[in-house]
Parts: sequence; structure tokens; C-alpha cells
Amino acid sequence: MRTIEFLTQNGAAYWWPVLAALLTTLLGGVLSVAVVLKRLAFIGQGVSHAAFGGVGLALLAGVGVGSAAGDLVLLLVLIVFGVGAALGIDLLARSRSARGPGAAGGADTAIGIVLAVSMAMGFVLYRLAAREAVAGGRPAPPGIESVLFGDILSVGPIDVLIAGATLVAGAGVLWGYRGPRGFAGCEPEAAEAFGVRVRALERLLLVLAAVAIVVAVRTAGVVLASAIFVLPAATALRLSNRLSGVMVWSLAVAALGAIGGVVLSFEAGWSTGPSIVLALGAAYGAARVWNALRAG
Amino acid sequence: MHEGVPRDGGSEVVFDSVSFTYPGAGERALTDVSIGVRAGEHLGIVGPNGGGKSTLLKLLVGVLVPAAGRVSVAGCEPGVARRERLVGYVPQRSEAGLDWPISVRQAVALPLAAGRTGFTRGGAQERARVDEALGVVGITDLGERRIGTLSGGLFLRAMIARAVASGACVLALDEPTVGVDAEGQQRFADLMRRLRERVGLTVVIVSHDLRAIAAGCDRVACLARTLHYHDAPSGLTPQVLAQVFRHDVEGVFGAVHIDAHEAADCDDPSHGHGQPPGELRGRGDA
Repeated sequence: MRTIEFLTQNGAAYWWPVLAALLTTLLGGVLSVAVVLKRLAFIGQGVSHAAFGGVGLALLAGVGVGSAAGDLVLLLVLIVFGVGAALGIDLLARSRSARGPGAAGGADTAIGIVLAVSMAMGFVLYRLAAREAVAGGRPAPPGIESVLFGDILSVGPIDVLIAGATLVAGAGVLWGYRGPRGFAGCEPEAAEAFGVRVRALERLLLVLAAVAIVVAVRTAGVVLASAIFVLPAATALRLSNRLSGVMVWSLAVAALGAIGGVVLSFEAGWSTGPSIVLALGAAYGAARVWNALRAG
Repeated sequence: MHEGVPRDGGSEVVFDSVSFTYPGAGERALTDVSIGVRAGEHLGIVGPNGGGKSTLLKLLVGVLVPAAGRVSVAGCEPGVARRERLVGYVPQRSEAGLDWPISVRQAVALPLAAGRTGFTRGGAQERARVDEALGVVGITDLGERRIGTLSGGLFLRAMIARAVASGACVLALDEPTVGVDAEGQQRFADLMRRLRERVGLTVVIVSHDLRAIAAGCDRVACLARTLHYHDAPSGLTPQVLAQVFRHDVEGVFGAVHIDAHEAADCDDPSHGHGQPPGELRGRGDA
């Protein structure tokens, strides 16, 4: 087992990325139930790609290469970008559809626009930043592949701390507001009539999801971050008929996917982000097969 | 519970010269509508699509605020009534979140759960209220079923149970018989009678389905942007209906002349004030 070797013979070097991957995927497990049920999966795509625009901008400004402080500033920039993108998409979608609370009529178009524009902007800014760094004799920014698909081996204790804090905060908020949020989530119109502040709760969920996705971009990359906010719940919804059961399964699938993905990446020498997504995808496939067998 | 608010046997709903215009819309959705609903009374509001029925319900529920005039529920502003959960709003089935993995009990308890914040749990008292409400609408044995698997009629019962459990004193039903078959219509009539006997809620039903209105209501208002008629169901003469629904028919077939005589059996005088509401069912579909 190369996994055991990696973890026991290299001090803490490999423990941080493994912990970060586990915490980030668990964060996905916690939030994905709300994301999938509220059909926000595509918003996740929008947010993570908008974060790429943020990466380009930050790199051009000379932020976030090398030092730990730079990393933190970069993360803050990305959170601002991600939350801004989520709320922007929400606003665009609503202004287009002009329907009641919870209606997401024009959301796909809005996300498509935000996603494409910020992705293009990110690429242009990234190239500019790389060129300037070379011309100025500064260290080149991290490879574009590691930005797009995640570079978990660059992850350190600070990332673990941030992922853990986001997990605790996200789970706490979701648990604390589970009553009104559940009502607002499944029946926004009725919930509003019963005095629930639906819009505020929806924005809260959007902000939470945006922050979580940006945190996940560090480990899983721009392209794959949103996958961990979809696959655990999509799998769990095939395995249980109860919200509590779905929640437990979602967490279990997330943990399993994270561990399976990390082992896969160590054994096969693959990147960690794609490995985790592949493991989660396999769990989803297994759940569908299990469902089909049980039904037929 | 809600102190200071009379909760014994329902309360009064008042629309006083209410007008409403949606932002950006040229035409008024409602013009100078006045309605009074006595405590415990069942009022039906019938009218064509686009006639302002849903707008009226939204004003009652407090989601919209009138441009002119005044709405009051149990002596409160609708916004206050909403926070106090005095109005039990029953949405159309199509607008509910049926794909969520929650049981009927959980769906019924949603307003109670929404009233709790922080880390408290619903106790035995909450379970008892849900049990009682499920009993009132007659679906005690369906509590553990997934809400999305209920038929239209049973789903309606669950939604009414929710309003009862939440302690509302006014029940607002939006198109309650959409997706309910003829047999379901009869059961809806029975349900309305049972609600009257056991809970005594004030009920406002909005529908384009005359049978639903006739089955459950003491009085009927016809709404096509303004209030056309406002009296007992027996006053719904073919002439009134033809007038009210003219726009609806024209929308489908173009301008037509409506022959009132074809629906003349609607005016059967045997369907008078003194009949129990359940007996009124079937007028118009004979």
C-alpha cells in the first residue's frame, strides 16, 4: 500500500492535504442536500468559474504567489468574487423571470453568462499576470492546470483550518435554521405566507454555498469544485426517502468518496481532485444500480 | 400561542375598497374591492383567469400590500397576521415542493418547525397538534407517507391539516380542486363540512371551478378585477356568470355570444340559503 507509506514516512506533509480533502468533501456532503434540492447545482458551476476570474485578477495584482499571507488574501478575494457571482446570478435570474420567491426561471441563462465571461476574463488576466511575472523576473504563478483541477499537494495547515471552520460554520447555520429553511426550501410560496423570511434564507444559503465552493476550489480546482456539492446528495437521494436519512447518507458518501479518492490518487499517482470526483461518481453509479436492482 | 388575538372559532376578514396594481403593469389587477367575511363563514371567490383571484389571496396572506384601501385579518394588518400565522395558506399542488424527501407529518409540521429557531426540538405538544390536525382532515394513517406520493385530494387534506396545526384562524385555499376528480369533489364537500363542525375556521376559497365553490361556501363573490357579485350561491345566475366569465371565453374562442338559457338549470330555486353546504354540490353539473 503506497498510501500507508506516503502517510507514515513523510511526517505531516501528506496529512494536511488528506485532511483538507476530507473536510472539503464533508462540507460538500453537508451543503449538497440543499444545493441539489434547491436546484442550485448550476449556480455552483457559476461560482467556481467566477472564482477563476478572481484568480486572474489577484495574480495580476501580484497577490497570492508563494507566501501564506498571500494565500489568505487570495482566498478573501475569491470569496468576494464567489459570493458576488452567486448573488449576481440570483439577481439576474430574478429580474428576468420576475416571478415569486424561489422561482429560478432565467437562472440558466444568467449562469451561462456569468460563467463564460468570468472564465474568459480569468484566462486573459492569468496570461497577462504570467507574462508580467516573467518580464519582471518574479516567480511565475502556479500552473493553469493546478488552478483548474486543484493542486492538493500545495495545501497546508491554513487550508485545513479554513476548510474546518467553514464546515463548522456551514453545518451550524444549516442546523440552527433547519426549521424555517426547510419550509422556505421546499415551499417558498407557502412559507412566505406563514411568515418565514424566504428571501433572506435563500440568500443565506447562496452565500454559504458560494464560500464553501471557493474553499473547495483550493483542493478540487475550478472545474471540479462544484461536483462535490452535487454528487453526495444526488447519491443519497437514491438511498433514502427521508430528509434525515438523505443527510446521513450524504455525509457518509462524502467521507467515503474523500477517502477513496485520496487512496486512489496515492496508489495510482493521479491528481487528488479528479480522483475524489471519480470516487463520488462511482458511488453515485453504484447507488443507481442498487436502486435498479431493488426495483426490478 | 398568540396572546391577545381572539382565536375562539375564527375571526373576521375585511377588504375595504382595496385596489392593487403590479409594479410595471399598466392596468390595475384589482379595483375598489370590498369584501367582509364573518367569523366562521366560508366565502367562495370565483372568477376568470387573470381576474385577480390570486392577487386577492396574496393581499389576504400579507405577501402583497394594497395600493389603496385596507385589508384586515382578525383586526390585524395582514403583515402582522402573517407573522402571527393567523392565516393558513394552502397553495396549489403545482406550486408545492413535492420532490423533497419529507413525510406527510413533516410537511404538516413545517410552519411549527419554522417558528422555532436555534437548536430547540419540537416536543410532544407539537406532535399532538399534528396528530389532531391529521385526524380532523381524516388522514391519520397517512402520516408516514412521503408527501409527493399523495393524490391531489389527499395532498389538499395534508395542506389543510398544516393550516389547522399551525393554529391559523383563517384558511385561504387557492384552487383547491385542481386535479381532483368528481368523487374527490364530493369528499371535498364533506371535508369542508367537517372543518366547519370541528374547527370552525373562517374559510376563503378562490377557484375558477364553480363546483368547488358551491360545495364548500356560504356565500360567493365573483371577481373579474372588480367585484361583480357578493351574496349567497343561489344568486349566481347564468347572467352573472356569463358576464364574469366572458373574458375567459373570449380568450379561448374569440368574441362569442353566451346563451344564458343553456345553463338555466343552475338557477334551480331548491338550492337556497337553508341547505347545508355539502348539499350544494353538483349544481351546474347535473
